Order: sequence, then C-alpha cells, then structure tokens
Amino acid sequence: MTIAPKAPRKLSMKDRYSALTRDLDWEPSYVSKEQIYPLTTFEGITIHDWSKWEDPFRLTVDAYTKYQAEKDKRLYAVLDGFAQSQGHLSLTDASYLNAMKLFIQGIAPNEYNAHRNFAMLARHLEGGGPRFAALCQCLDEMRHAQTEIHTLSNYNKYYGGFHNFSQQHDRVWYLSVPKSFFEDALSAGPFEWLIAIGFSFEYLLTNLLFVPFMSGASFNGDLPTMTFGFSAQSDESRHMTLGLEAIKFLLEQDEKNVPIVQYWLDKWFWRGYRLLALVAQMLDYMLPREFMSWKEAFELYFEEQMMKGLFEDLAYYGIRPPLHVDKAIQEKEHVSHQAYWILYQFSHAAAFTTSVPTAQHMDWLEEQYPETFPTYRKLWEKEQRNIDNGGRHFIRGLPQLCQVCQIPMGFTEADDPFVQAQRESIFEGERYNFCSDGCQYIFEHEPVKFRRAWLPVHQIYQGNCGGPTLPDVLNWYGLEPGDGGEYLGSIDHQNWLKWHGDPAHVENDHAPAAAGAEGGQ
Amino acid sequence: MQIELRTQVIEPRRKTFTHVSNRYGDRPASRYEEGTIDLQGSEHFQYKPLWAPDKEIYSPDFSELKLADPYSYMDPRQYYYTPYVSARADLHEAFGATLSYLDKRGMFDRLPEAWHGVLQNIVLPLRHYEGAAQMISAAAARYGWGTSITQCFSYASFDRIGNAQMLSRAGISLGGGTADPLAVAKTAWIEDPTWQGLRKHVELTLAEQDWGKAIVALDVTDRVIYQLLYTHLDDVAIGSGAGSYSLIAQHFSTWFVDQRKWFDALYKAWAADPEHGAANVETLSAVVSQTLATVAEALAPVMTAVDGLVDAGAVDALAATVDQTRSAYAALGVATEVAS
Repeated sequence: MTIAPKAPRKLSMKDRYSALTRDLDWEPSYVSKEQIYPLTTFEGITIHDWSKWEDPFRLTVDAYTKYQAEKDKRLYAVLDGFAQSQGHLSLTDASYLNAMKLFIQGIAPNEYNAHRNFAMLARHLEGGGPRFAALCQCLDEMRHAQTEIHTLSNYNKYYGGFHNFSQQHDRVWYLSVPKSFFEDALSAGPFEWLIAIGFSFEYLLTNLLFVPFMSGASFNGDLPTMTFGFSAQSDESRHMTLGLEAIKFLLEQDEKNVPIVQYWLDKWFWRGYRLLALVAQMLDYMLPREFMSWKEAFELYFEEQMMKGLFEDLAYYGIRPPLHVDKAIQEKEHVSHQAYWILYQFSHAAAFTTSVPTAQHMDWLEEQYPETFPTYRKLWEKEQRNIDNGGRHFIRGLPQLCQVCQIPMGFTEADDPFVQAQRESIFEGERYNFCSDGCQYIFEHEPVKFRRAWLPVHQIYQGNCGGPTLPDVLNWYGLEPGDGGEYLGSIDHQNWLKWHGDPAHVENDHAPAAAGAEGGQ
Repeated sequence: MQIELRTQVIEPRRKTFTHVSNRYGDRPASRYEEGTIDLQGSEHFQYKPLWAPDKEIYSPDFSELKLADPYSYMDPRQYYYTPYVSARADLHEAFGATLSYLDKRGMFDRLPEAWHGVLQNIVLPLRHYEGAAQMISAAAARYGWGTSITQCFSYASFDRIGNAQMLSRAGISLGGGTADPLAVAKTAWIEDPTWQGLRKHVELTLAEQDWGKAIVALDVTDRVIYQLLYTHLDDVAIGSGAGSYSLIAQHFSTWFVDQRKWFDALYKAWAADPEHGAANVETLSAVVSQTLATVAEALAPVMTAVDGLVDAGAVDALAATVDQTRSAYAALGVATEVAS
C-alpha cells in the first residue's frame, strides 16, 4: 500500500485573517519595544497578551474597499438627485434644518477628530489585530465626516447657519460643548480613547445620538440625511463591535484594569450624557414633524438596551453601572426643556434659529411629558404673551458655564425642577463651577486637565473673542445675518414662504412673522 | 418631440462654505475641497495631551517639516474617501483576478525554481516592511498638521496594510493554500543576516518621534525597494520566462506610481514654502542623505541574494537606483551629499 502525499492543509478563515493582519508583527530587537510603542504604559493599563484580542470582524482591505465603494456610489446618487430636483423644497419646514445645522457644526468636525485619533491607535496599539480594526475605523470616520459635509453642502447653498461650521466649531460658545468633549478624549491616551469613544460613545450612547438625527430626517423629508444614516449603519455596527471587544479585552487582561476602566466609564457616561442634552432639545423642539420624545428614546436606547442588557453582562467583570446614572434617569423628564430654553434665549449668538413651540407642538410635548411639561408650558405661554406685546426676549448678559461640560448653568437639581443646580470646588485657590454632581466628580479626578478648559464666556471677558461688544463677538464667530436669532421672520423663513409661493403651505400656527424677529447680528 | 421640463429655478445664496470661499472665492467647490479644507481644528484647543504635555492636540510642532499654510498643499489626485476606496477596490480586484489566474493555471508551480526563490526569499519578507510602513504612515496621519496632508497619509497607511495583504495572499498561493511560505519568510526577516540591515533600519524608523523625518526615511527606502523589486526585477523576470513574477509585481509598481503623484507634490510644497522652505530643505537633505547611505548598505546583502538566485545584476542596480533616487530628490529641490 502506498501512502498518498498528504494534501497541504488549507488555512481556516481565522488563520487566513491572522496571516493578513496580526502575523505581520515581530518582536523588535534593534530598539526596545517601549521605543516603538511609547504610549501603552502611562495610563496604568496592563496588557499581558495582545494576541488574546479577538478580531471582532474579519474584514480585509479588498473586501473593505469593495463594499465601501459600492455603498458610496449609491449614497452620492441620492445626493445628486436630491440637489438636482430642488429636493430641499419638500422638507417639512425650513426650521427643520436647525437640527442639521447642529449636526454639521457639532458632529461632523468630531467625526473628523475620531478619524485622526483612530490613526493614533492604528499607530500605537501593540497588536496587529486591534491596529487594523482601528485603521478601518479611522477611514470610516473620515467617510462619515465627508459624507455628512457633502450631504449638507446642498442645504448650505440655500439656507443660513451651515456655511462656517468649521471655524465656529473652534469658536462659538455652544460648540465648545462637543469640542471640549472630543478634545478631552483626543488628549487622553489610547486606552482611555478606546473606552471614551470606542465604547462609551460608539456603543453605549450611539443609538441616542444617531437615531434621533436620522429618524428625524426621515420624518421631515430629508432624504439625503436619511440615506447617509442608513449608509453609515453598517460602519457603525462594526464600530460597536470594536468598542465592546475593547472593553472586554481590557477587563480580561488584568484585574488591576477594572477600577481604571470603571472611572473612565463613570466619566464618559456623564460627559456623553451631558453632550446629548443638545440632542435631547433637538428631538423635542427642533423637528417640525416629531416622532419620538427624548424621554422615550432614553428609556428605549439607554434604560432598556444598556442598563438592562449591557451592564448585566459587564457585572461579571466587576463593573457596575456608571455613577450618576440615577441623576440622568431622574432628569429625563426635564433635560430637553431646560436645554432648549437656554438655547432659545441665546440663539441671537448662535448659528441656528429658535422659536416658541406652536400650540400643536406643545400639545404633543404635554402628551409625552404629562407630569412635567405643564410647568414648562407656562413658561412658553408667558413668552408668547411677551412676543404678542412685541417683546421676544434674548439674554444680553453672558452665562456662567460649567467648567467640565461647558453648558450654561441652567439645569436644575435632578429631583427638583425649581432649584437651579450649582456645585463648586476650590483647586489651588481658584473656584470652579459645575452644573451637576457628575461634572464636579470628573473635575475632582482631573483638576489639572480641566482647569485649562477654554471656556467661551471667560474668553469673551478676557478680550480674546473679537472685542468687547456683542457685534464684535458675533463677527468673530463668523456669523452672517440670518444665521441665528428668531426663526419667524428670519431669512430662511422668508425664503421658505417665497419659494412656496403660498404662505398657507407652511403647516404651523406660528405668530405673525414680524413678532420681535432678530437676525444673527 | 421635445418635452419641456419645467423646474423651479432658485438662486443659491452661496456656492460653498465660508472657509472654502475665503480661499478660492465664491465659486462652486469640488467635493474634495469641501471635504478637506480647514477640516482639522486649528485654535483654542481645550486640554494638553497627556502624552505630550508640551504640545497641543494638533500642532505643527510634531515635525521639523512644516508648511506655513498646510492647505497650500492639495492632493493632486483630489482623493477624498469615495474616490480613494473606489480606486483601491479596482486595484485589489485586479490583483485578485491575477491571483486566481495564477492559482487556476498552476503558475506558481510552473515558476522557474530560481524565481520561486525570489518570491519566497526576497519578496515575501517585505510584508513585514509593509506592516511597519502602515504604522509609520498612521503616525503622519495623526500627528501631521492640516487635513490636506494627513488625509493622504491616512489613505497611504491603509494602502500599506493592503500591500502587506497582497503579499501575504501571494505567499498563501505560493504555498498551495497554506501559510508555510509566510512562516519561512518571517523567520528570514527576523533571523537571516540578509535582512538584518533593513530590519534594523525599519525599527529605528519606527522609533523616530518626528513623523515627518520618519515618513521621509520610509519614502526614500520605498523608492529604492519598489524600483528594484517591482520594476527592475520585473523586467528581468519577463526576459527570463518568469511572467508570473511580473503579473504580481505590476500591481505594486502601479500602486507606487500613484504614491509618487501626491508625495512628490508634498516635497515640492515643503521645499517651496515661503516661511519654512529653507529649513525644510535642510531637514529633508539630511534625512535623505542619511537614509540613502543606510539603504545602500542594508539592501546590499538582499541584492547579493537576488544575484545568487537569478542573473539580475541586482547589486549594480542597487547602486544605480540610489543614484537615481538622489537625482530625483535634486529635481524636487532637495540636494544631498554623497556619503563618503
């Protein structure tokens, strides 16, 4: 009997993927490992074995480029068609675009920041598997930044508020909220970034961020943004898988990592939750055709999916739900109303417009918030009486900002909507103010980092923002007439009526257009 | 019959974003421009990086190579994400077609043994070189200043892992569906004296903290390696009945032509910068001179090994390629001294 030569054993999918990614690494011998990977020790995280990283998806460069190119072809076909057919005219109302103005000013520059810092991980993580996963996300984030800009570029041609998003992200007061959030993560090390952005932002809070914007788009006739949202979804699900693998990997590598990761979770939950106040007010107040309240979204995407699902799993590793999560739950009936009230009063210095909600919209809010909205309704009805008497109000002074989240300190105690919340800490003889226990807690852990915050109001007072008067500052913000202020009677509103040729087309019962309208400058 | 389509004509209020029109005037802008200009934040950074407390999170000071205005450089290919991935989808599809043809026709088995040796001993170890190139390019993508520049490096970083994957797939085919040739090549990269000069050079480049110096050192090395392996040896292969080698090599030389388009434009921008031009040229000259000397030495044993396998005149070609590279830099405005 002859023995046939053994056929070579073909590679399994897992081994093939490994050959294409992690097998490229070798142990350096001409320089030390620390010289090649200088950033993986200073955060106190211990990794014993990088090879234990489980590749969450086995995508190779050929497959990645093929899928992504096909997706983009379809997306840009929709964008082109919408632009060619003046699709913006079939939005529910020009005021809907305020949500998208916030999106391009607050989100797109941070997709870009994520692109840059995933490049940092694609350089510095010690395992070939996680490096390649980070590199894919680095490219995805560039895709999102650019497709968002290209999606909204057509609106920029016809409407205010979009045109100077990049510089405004670096300068304007409310945009320091998302800017400081992301720069906090950018200035951290690679592991904190993985928990801050990879896990907390991309997994824990991602549905609360993207579903409101994308579903809001679909309910309000914004086909391009909705298409962008669908197109980004398969990328996002990869990002979620990466975030989940990242936290498990850190927790499984060494028990000493658990308290470090726990602090990052506490911190980044609260940072992210505070950032989402901008989304909460958008969802409840900026969509002419509403589809879901902040409270409902929070209950579904956070309380159901994360508190009940995720944190029960993480308990196995000794991780508990983030500190102050109870405050966020308590606040769910209030936060959107308080945030929009702040923005309403300061929108003369913003690149979006605001308006008193219509009676029909307030009825909807009352259905969603039967316990709490009646109180806020009184506020709006009082404001409506002011307007009827010619007095739409904007706040002329400058607010105290929270040292950490940088939102004007207009939030109340979580359990008492009639008492404004204020916390303070003294550090090296200086007093710092906070909107909440959550923000104070973060400051007290990292005072050296957070005392350096570039607070827009302080900067205006220090004379670093174009000059001493409001017009000086607005000019320095690069605002043009019509970018901000009251929506009714604004340039966008007037154009909208003109383009539709029939004022009755606008489905609302707003007050007359002249009522106290104030442009951006 | 002519159908008259009636559309509503609405005069746009502006043709592009303010940061784009500030630069080019209010004219319709390309998607590349709108997706690139001023995308990176540039002022009022909130916190100091914990990993570099003496710098800002974005800073021109992560390298000696600087542009007064980073957007004075624009990618001549105008690659934003979509055209980039489309172009690379084509590249990898073409490579995949080549590979499946080679597999189907049993071309790796029919390769003259010496050329089999060239693929196994000379080409496959370079997947580790490409892996390092991915990291060096990613550093430039993170630490560079200005989106027009970092965007190119982020795509280049992805290109390099793509190149490593193409090499690895060729190796798996060479092994009849197994990873054995890759394991042999990895051992050579780590242990074989032939490769130690290059590996040492690569490790030192990975340890270089100035992203600009590191990426230029890599590029100098690329010029020499790509010319020798994928152009010079490609010619020799065709002349000596090893067409399969050429079929593989073409995809790498095609990629390198694309790499040159944007990278050479960047050298020109560095050299011509009104504020930093002279200092840039000084840094570039030093890095290029030193790297050429290192590479000439590091690749000498590799080329000797090539000549031991096939009659390629590789040792002479190395000297000629180093000279050629020197001239190419001179043409870009970067003069170098010949190391004595």
